[in-house]
Amino acid sequence: MFPLDLSKATKLKDLTFLCSSSNVRWVTTALQTVESKHFHHIAIHPYAAVFRSPPEETVHSTWQDLDQLLVRFWTSHSIRIRLVYWPDGGGTRDHASSLLPELIRRGLIDLVEHNPAPGTRIRMW
Amino acid sequence: MATMSCFLPPEILDLIIDQLHDEPATLKSCCVVSKPWIPRTRRHLFARVEFDALEHLIESWMKIFPDPSNSPAHHTRSLSIRSFPAVTTADADVAIWVRTFRNVVDVHFGDLIWTGQHDPLTPFYGFSHTVRSLRLTSTTFGVFNLICSFPLLEDLALVSLRPEIDTDGGRAPLTSPKLTGSLELSVVRGIRSAVRRLLDFPDGLRFSKVEVCCHRVGFEPVADLVSKCSGSLESLNIYSLAMGTPVPSTSPIDQYLTAAHRHRDVQHVPP
Repeated sequence: MFPLDLSKATKLKDLTFLCSSSNVRWVTTALQTVESKHFHHIAIHPYAAVFRSPPEETVHSTWQDLDQLLVRFWTSHSIRIRLVYWPDGGGTRDHASSLLPELIRRGLIDLVEHNPAPGTRIRMW
Repeated sequence: MATMSCFLPPEILDLIIDQLHDEPATLKSCCVVSKPWIPRTRRHLFARVEFDALEHLIESWMKIFPDPSNSPAHHTRSLSIRSFPAVTTADADVAIWVRTFRNVVDVHFGDLIWTGQHDPLTPFYGFSHTVRSLRLTSTTFGVFNLICSFPLLEDLALVSLRPEIDTDGGRAPLTSPKLTGSLELSVVRGIRSAVRRLLDFPDGLRFSKVEVCCHRVGFEPVADLVSKCSGSLESLNIYSLAMGTPVPSTSPIDQYLTAAHRHRDVQHVPP
C-alpha cells in the first residue's frame, strides 16, 4: 500500500483511521511520519474484516506494532487515543481490547462503541 | 366606535419574527397577516429551498413568482436540487431563474438524471458568487469546472460521481477557488481521476479538513492528495475499505458503503 507521508502536515491536530482490513501496517507507517506539535487526538476504527476470523501471525504483529507505537505516542505527545468498535461490523468490546492490549493494560485508551446518538442525521449521499 | 390599532416599530416586528425562524407553520401564518410582515417572514421561509424533479418545479416556481426581481429566491441561503434531468424549459428562462438564487451559500446537487443530450449542471455555473459550500452526489464526472466557477468556495463534498459520464471533456479550469475548509471525497469508482482533477486546480488546495472514503486501490492518489494539502491540514479522516466490506446499518459512512455495494460488480476494476 502506498504510504501516507504526514511529515509536512505541521498543523495536524487529529487523525481518524477506519480499517476494514485486518492488516494495519499502513496506519503504523503513516503515524510514524507525524511531526506536528499540535497533534492531540487519534481514533482507530477496526471495522468488519478485523473481527471476522482469528488474526494470522503477520496480521497480529501489525497490531502489536501499532500498539507499541501508540504507547510511545502517548508518552511523547500526550495524545488522546480512542479505539472505536462497531457492533454493526461484527465487533465486540473484547475483540477490540485484544487488538491493542498494552494500551488497554495501561489504561491509555478510550474504548468506545460506535453508537450514533438518536436523531443523528445520516447524510444523504 | 373608535378602532383600536397597534403599530409595532419594524425592528421590533423583525425581532419577533426572527424568534420564529424554525417554526415554518407559524411563519406561514405570519406571512398572510399584512404586507409589512411579508419580507421578514419570507427571509426565514425561503432560507432553505429543496427541489426534487427540477423541471416541473421550475415551471411552478416561475408561475408563482413571475417577476424575478420580486422572487423570494434572494432569501435562499441553502439550495438543494435532486433527481433532476437536463432542463428543457427555454434556456434563457432557466438562466434567469437560476440567477435569482444569487445569495446562496450552501448548495447540494444530487442524483441527476442523465439523458445524454445536455449537461444538467450547465445552467448552474457561477450562478451565485456567495457559494461557500458545495456538495455533489451521484452527478456526472464533469463537475470540476463547475466547482471552479464559485470563487469563494471553501467546503467541497464529492460523493459517488459517475466516471463514465465526463462532461468536462478534460478541460482544465483557468482559476480555482480558495478551498480552505473541508473536503469530503467518497468516490467508489474513478478516485484516481477525481484526485488528479483536484490536484490540477491552478490555485492549489488548502483544505484544513480532509475526509476520504476509498477502497485500497485508491490509496496512492489519496496519499498525493494528503501531501498536496499538508501545509494547511489539521484533521484527516481516512476510511480504507477492503473489497466486500459488509454494510453497517448506521454510521457516517454507511451511505458510502451502500453505494460501494451498489457498484460491487465494477469495483474491482482499477480506477
